[in-house]
Amino acid sequence: MLRKLLKHEFRATGRIMLPLYLVLLATSVGANLSTRGLLETDNRLLDILGGLLIIAFVVAIIGVCIMSLVVMVQRFYKNLLQDEGYIMMTLPCSIHQQVWSKLIVSAVWFALSFAMVCLACVLMAFDVSAIQEILDLCQELLHALTGKYSFNAVAFGVELLVLCFVGCCVLCLEFYAALAIGHSRPSHKMAWSVLFFFVLQFAMQMISSALIIGLDESAFYYFLMDLTDVHLSGTAAIHASLWFLSACAAIYGAVFYFLTTYFLKRHLNLE
Amino acid sequence: MLWQFNSGSPIYSQLIHQIKQGIVSGIFPPGERLPSVRDLATEAGVNPNTMQRALAELERDGLVYSQRTAGRFVTEDKDMIEAAKRGLAEAQIHAFLTAMTHLGYEKEEILTLVRQESEREATEHGGSGM
Amino acid sequence: MAVLECNALTKRYGKTPALEDVTFAIEPGRIVGLLGPNGSGKTTLIKLANGLLTPTAGDIRICGTAPGRATRSVVSYLPERTCIPLWMTTRQLMDFYQDFYRDFRRDAAEEMLRHLNIRENQHIKQMSKGTREKVQLIMVMSRAASLYLLDEPIGGVDPATRDYILSTIISNYNPEAAVVISTHLIADVERVLDEVIFINQGRLVLQASVDEIREEKGMSVDELFREVFKC
Repeated sequence: MLRKLLKHEFRATGRIMLPLYLVLLATSVGANLSTRGLLETDNRLLDILGGLLIIAFVVAIIGVCIMSLVVMVQRFYKNLLQDEGYIMMTLPCSIHQQVWSKLIVSAVWFALSFAMVCLACVLMAFDVSAIQEILDLCQELLHALTGKYSFNAVAFGVELLVLCFVGCCVLCLEFYAALAIGHSRPSHKMAWSVLFFFVLQFAMQMISSALIIGLDESAFYYFLMDLTDVHLSGTAAIHASLWFLSACAAIYGAVFYFLTTYFLKRHLNLE
Repeated sequence: MLWQFNSGSPIYSQLIHQIKQGIVSGIFPPGERLPSVRDLATEAGVNPNTMQRALAELERDGLVYSQRTAGRFVTEDKDMIEAAKRGLAEAQIHAFLTAMTHLGYEKEEILTLVRQESEREATEHGGSGM
Repeated sequence: MAVLECNALTKRYGKTPALEDVTFAIEPGRIVGLLGPNGSGKTTLIKLANGLLTPTAGDIRICGTAPGRATRSVVSYLPERTCIPLWMTTRQLMDFYQDFYRDFRRDAAEEMLRHLNIRENQHIKQMSKGTREKVQLIMVMSRAASLYLLDEPIGGVDPATRDYILSTIISNYNPEAAVVISTHLIADVERVLDEVIFINQGRLVLQASVDEIREEKGMSVDELFREVFKC
C-alpha cells in the first residue's frame, strides 16, 4: 500500500516540482551566459538583460526552496483535508501509511531541491573565471583549517546538511500537525491551524529553553562534562553537538508525527 | 416497450400487468426468449428483485416458463395468451363501466354511446378504425 | 450475514446528537433508500459506515467487522461532492482505483466510459460538472464491492443523467452486495429500491419494503414521506 501511495504522491507532486526545476536550470544557464558574455559588452541594453538574468537566477533559487515547502504542505492540505480526502481517507490504508507517504515524498523533494540548486550553481559557474578564483581561495582556506585544527570539513559539511535536512522535514511535519489539529475543529479550521502552528512553535521554544536552563548545573550536565573531559576535543564537540541537534530535531519530528496521526485518525472532520 | 408506473399499486403488480400487455400485444411474441432479469430491470428502470418477483408470478400463472440454462421464454400456448388478453380486456371494460356509471349513465345508454363513438371513429379514419 | 448492521448507534458532536439509538440491518442483494430531510443524519450514518467518523455509542458493522482498513476494501463510497483529483486524466484515475482496490473491474469502467464517449486521455479538469459526476460514479460502481454507499447520487444533475445513474445502479446489481442510496429525491429513486429507511433528526422512523408500503398503506413511498415529514 505504501508503495502505491508513494507512486501516486510522486505523480501528483512531480508535475509541479519538475517544471520548477527546469525553470531553475534554465535560469542558471541564462545567468551563466550572462556572466560569460553579456555583462562584458558595452551595450547598455545587453547589460540590463544580463543583470536581469542573474536576478532571475537568484529568484529561481529562492523560489525553488520556498516552493518545495509550500507545495508539500499544500499537497497534504488539499489531498487529505479537503474534498480529495473523501477518497484518500476511504482507501484501504492506515493513517500511518498516509502520513509517511506524504513525509517521505516531501523529504525526497527537499533533498532533490537542494541537489538541483547545487547543480544550478555549478551550471552557472561553468567556465566563469571569477568563480573559479573564489573556489580556489575556499579550498586553500579549508586546507589551512584542517591542518591547524584537525577540522574535518567534509564531516562538518555532512553534519550541517543532515541537520538542515532533518530541520526541513520537521518543519514540514509541524505544518502537518498544525493542519491536522486545526481541521479537527468544526469551524474556522484554517484560523485554528495557523494558531496551532504558532502554539507548536512556542511550545518547541519553551521546551528547548527549559531543557537548556534545567539541565545546566544538573547531574546530567556534569555527566556530559566528564565525558567531554575524557574523550572529546573542541572540534569533536562541534561534531557531536551537530549530531545532538539533529537528534533533538528528530524527536520534535516524532512528536509532530504522533500529533498528526492522532488527530487524523480520531478527530477527522471532513466537511 | 414503454414502461410506465403510477403510485397507486405495488410496482411488481404493475410490472405483471405491463409484461402481460407486452405478451398479449405481440411485443413479446409466443416462444420468444425474454431478456435476463437484470436487463429487463434496467430497461424498465426498476429494482431487479421486483422484476424477479413479477416474472416468478407470471411463471406461476403459466404465461412464462423458464429453462434451467437457457433462460425465460414466453409460453407458446396460444390459448393461454388469449385467456390473458381476455382477462386484460375484461379488466379494462370493468374500469370503463365503473367510470361511466359514475358519470351517471345507464347500461343501455353506455352501449349506444360506444356504438356511436365507434362508428364516428371509423368514418374519421376512413374505415380503418375499430 | 447482514452487509450493514447498526445497533443502538449514536453519534453526538458535543451535546448535539447527529444520530441517536439507530438500529437496523441490511441484507445482501437489497437496494435500500436512506431517506430523510437535510440534516437528518443520513450523511453522518454514511460517514460512520466508512470509518470517517467514530461512534459515540453503539455499534456499526460491515459484514460483521467494525469499520476500518479491512472494511474499506469491501465498501465502495460515492461522496456527495465530486472529489476526484482534477489534474488526473481518466486513465490515471482508473490506474489509481486499480492500484488500491483489488475488486476494481477496469473492463467494466472502460466500457461505461466508452458508452458515454469519455476519452481516456481527457483531463478531469476539462470536463463539465455532470461528466465529472458520471466519471466518479463509474469508478465507484465498477468496483465489485459488498456494500455501495451512494450519498445523494442524483441531486444536482439533469434528468437524463439521473436516468443514466439509476440505470447504472440497476445494471451493476449483484445479489451478494447491498446498495444504500441516501437521497431526498424519492420519486425518482423509488422504483429502484427494495426497502426504505426513514431517518428524522437522527432517529430511525421507519424501515419497510417498498412493496409493503404500497400494499399496506396504499400510497407510494414519496407520498408516505411527505406525510411523515410534513412541516
